Amino acid sequence: MKEKARLLIIDDDPEFVDAIRGVLEGAGYEVEAAYNPRSGFETLKRRPPDLLLLDILMGRGAEGVMLARKMRKDPQLSRIPTLIITGIREQIAFLFPGQAVHPHILPVDELMEKPVDPELLLDRVRALLQAAAARREAG
Amino acid sequence: MEVTGRILIVDDEEIVLDSCSEILRAAGYAVATASDGAQGLRQVEEFRPDLVYLDLKMPGMSGMEVLERIRAADPSVVTIVVTGYATLASAVEAMQRGAYDFVPKPFTPEELRLITRRGLERRRLVQETMALRREQEMLREHFAAIIAHEVKSPLAAVQQSLYLLAAELREALTEAQRERLARLQARLADLLQMVDTWLRAISVDLRGIRERFRPTAVADLVARAVEAVQPFARRKDLQIGTALPEGLPPVVGDEVTLVQALVNLLHNAVKYSYPGGSITVAARVEGEQVHIGVSDQGVGIPPDELPHIFGAFYRGRAGMAGEVGAGLGLAVTRKIVEAHGGVITAESTPGKGSTFTVALPVAGQAGQVAVGLDRPAASLEGAA
Repeated sequence: MKEKARLLIIDDDPEFVDAIRGVLEGAGYEVEAAYNPRSGFETLKRRPPDLLLLDILMGRGAEGVMLARKMRKDPQLSRIPTLIITGIREQIAFLFPGQAVHPHILPVDELMEKPVDPELLLDRVRALLQAAAARREAG
Repeated sequence: MEVTGRILIVDDEEIVLDSCSEILRAAGYAVATASDGAQGLRQVEEFRPDLVYLDLKMPGMSGMEVLERIRAADPSVVTIVVTGYATLASAVEAMQRGAYDFVPKPFTPEELRLITRRGLERRRLVQETMALRREQEMLREHFAAIIAHEVKSPLAAVQQSLYLLAAELREALTEAQRERLARLQARLADLLQMVDTWLRAISVDLRGIRERFRPTAVADLVARAVEAVQPFARRKDLQIGTALPEGLPPVVGDEVTLVQALVNLLHNAVKYSYPGGSITVAARVEGEQVHIGVSDQGVGIPPDELPHIFGAFYRGRAGMAGEVGAGLGLAVTRKIVEAHGGVITAESTPGKGSTFTVALPVAGQAGQVAVGLDRPAASLEGAA
């Protein structure tokens, strides 16, 4: 029996986190949550998850983007698959001049818009975990 | 010593230039000089002074003209006129033309230092005010987007919770309760979709759009736009009909963005239609262009408002159901059409209806305009 995958959610909306967590735990994943980028990054460092679910707009701007960038620069974290779940689509980038909020600028694996359909969410999570496992196999 | 300000002195008398430079440099300022007006204007460009001392009486270009040109180039530069014959008249005239202050010759070093400090303080205030104004403009520009996001976040969180509840209670609910929950979710979904449509409309990013230009079939554009608006039309019992002749040539453009433009027009048509009416999307070839017209039989637009409807923040009166928009839909639509080298026009008869016509160049024609390219434009693809 394979141990179940560990997921981390970083999102500043507790209600949203609870709803997502319920779906993921219902599917048998182990879920941890952080409600701001700072504690999110600490959790990432302390116990790197198999998959990160990340919100873009936290605090005073697109802090999720900053976090994702920081992750990619960290050899320990750079390979963690990330599913961006955002309440806004990326064309709102102009709200934050000078902060690119664009999937092409982020080497993230997937992007979904809130609210996410539970079935679709589980599909994406499964696919991302499988792809990451395949990458590890391939070395 | 730290430089605390940049000062340009424009005067035809060498002795004035030298003595003023010396005093001001000793006080820690960066100083540049010019011996006539033309040179002075060049220095304003190159040296970027905070403050200009300007002699009003010089050979060649008059001090007044130099003053006017400095004001035109950068109104935040503080100009102080130096006048050898301190006639109130010329000083007053210079002040009326935007000089901040005047200093009569001869003046003492202490006077010069004092006026300089005061002028630089003024410059700082002007710059701060300008920055503040820019910030306010930006806020106003993005106000709608910020509000939309503030509305959308909680709605999305509630919907997310309902998804979970529905799953958890699947076995426990009666048929009637399940239906009620489904209705709640459907209403939330509608609301979210409306905010979304609105968000996309105001946040369309036209940078880099040209990279995605492809020959595009008009029929596809129309079909996709009509499909997007159909649910809103049904709710008001509106029929959307299309009249597309066979063999329409393709237009060149970014399909997603063009669909967005048509969706904006159709949304307006729905909003301002009387319930039970009909909306028509018709296309025809006109020379080197394809004209796509969206017509409604709704309330129409008063003739005096017609010239302003494509301006940002123009808001028509509330729609039939009291809906109001951000007043950006048509401005954005016009931007999209123009980015494609096209033109948008409107005709309307109050009480009878309106027709908005988008004219787009046929594929293969010149006339498509480039827009600034500095990063990939965001996708406007709708979420399910």
